[in-house]
Amino acid sequence: MSFIKSLRCKECGAQYPVEPRTVCDNDFGPVEVEFDYEAMRGKVTRQSIESGPRSLWRYRDLLPIDGEPRAGLRSGFTPLIKADRLARELGVKELYIKDDSANYPTFSYKDRVVAVALTKAIEFNFDTVGCASTGNLAHSVAAHAAAAGIRAFVMIPHDLEEGKIIGSLVFGPRMVKIRGNYDDVNRLCSQIADKYNWAIVNVNLRPFYTEGAKTHGFEIAEQLGWQLPQHTVVPVAGGTLLPKVYKAYREFITLGLVEDNKPRFYAAQAAGCNPVSQAIEQGTNLFKPQKPNTIAKSIAIGNPADGYYVINLVNESQGYSASAQDQEILDAVKLLAQTEGIFTEPAGGTTLACAIKLIESGRIPRDESICVCITGNGLKTVEVMQGQFAKAPVINAKMTEFDQIVEQIAETPPQTTQPPVKA
Amino acid sequence: MTAKYKCKCWLTFEGGRQNEPCLWKTTTKFPDVSFDIRQASVQQDIGVMAVLFSGEQDRVEGALAYLREQGVKVDPVEGGDLVTG
Repeated sequence: MSFIKSLRCKECGAQYPVEPRTVCDNDFGPVEVEFDYEAMRGKVTRQSIESGPRSLWRYRDLLPIDGEPRAGLRSGFTPLIKADRLARELGVKELYIKDDSANYPTFSYKDRVVAVALTKAIEFNFDTVGCASTGNLAHSVAAHAAAAGIRAFVMIPHDLEEGKIIGSLVFGPRMVKIRGNYDDVNRLCSQIADKYNWAIVNVNLRPFYTEGAKTHGFEIAEQLGWQLPQHTVVPVAGGTLLPKVYKAYREFITLGLVEDNKPRFYAAQAAGCNPVSQAIEQGTNLFKPQKPNTIAKSIAIGNPADGYYVINLVNESQGYSASAQDQEILDAVKLLAQTEGIFTEPAGGTTLACAIKLIESGRIPRDESICVCITGNGLKTVEVMQGQFAKAPVINAKMTEFDQIVEQIAETPPQTTQPPVKA
Repeated sequence: MTAKYKCKCWLTFEGGRQNEPCLWKTTTKFPDVSFDIRQASVQQDIGVMAVLFSGEQDRVEGALAYLREQGVKVDPVEGGDLVTG
């Protein structure tokens, strides 16, 4: 049974049938899927969800599909980790990491949105899917399309990291590199969707695609024992995730599945691409588009499609924002790896670095529950970590030489280890 | 019946452009292009406006180029489409 009512303009409330559509005809505002929560009451319960599959499809009643899931059957339901060692390091009481670096099959939160978008593309009878991507989305579209047997076109900025390119090509999509940044790629994809009648997941399927991001929030609430963290720190790129985690929390509150503890949301951006953080810090709800210049390429979107809504929701929840410099991002990647054993990409480093700033500035109280959303895997971007570590010592296969090295490095913190190199 | 070109755009005015009559100058230079303003928000440092442009394709493109020349950021919402009207 589907609980979808219609598509609805977020600005003027105009309603549209459930169809591939990006914006409202009246005011060009984005359209969003509207559900019938009254009809869900008593049917969508903690028990009904808990009896579902161990994937994002356990929340299918709250997702915009009509038939059976057709993609991402093993995506989602990633670990929520109580990060006690990191919490001690930061001097906070209760810290959680929602770890989508472990998402299946392509190790980023994008597997959530693509699972829903691909299912919807099949329902709409599209024969080709595509995306504008900073890398992670291209991986996910390529992988899910391969598994579903659908032709995929992925469009990426020309200067993307090599690892991210290979990570898409292996799945056999048609890839086109576009000269320009993500915003240029996205603009071209709007025209491609229009001209070729393809399902560009983050363009003409955007209202359905973005609903998949809610599952990140649903899982946080369920895995926390059906309660909400008081503070949630979310990376902001195009602005999909934060409003949808917010919507997920609100939907669970509306359905009586969790208590409303007035959760606060915080936007995390790299200092080299922070239009949303800058607007929040300046107290305006209109952001100024930027030309990205940061190592956190997967969140380097200078003109975020949903940036305006991120700003409004952060303010409405009485949260705030922060921006992290490149070195702070790398330091946070190392800190997360060395305290919790999680290797995230620079986007995750950005989120943690911003969370640290928000804690240190007193914006996030140290004695309340905090969830940091980690959205991608560091193994995809190992090149950004080059030069961050001392070289490992090389010794001959002799116990005496090993003993010497152990004496020198055993008690030294890993990041500052500078042992002598012996031939 | 004349073929008309329509293009939905977001215009962003910043860096002082929000205090200049960029739209008025464009309407003066392109009186045959229709500017249908669908929503707008203007603050001290920045203004954004959703506009549906329509007219002959080369004239609409000329008006968009002229706005860009004046420093206005022009982002098409979707690909331009030809409709009859």
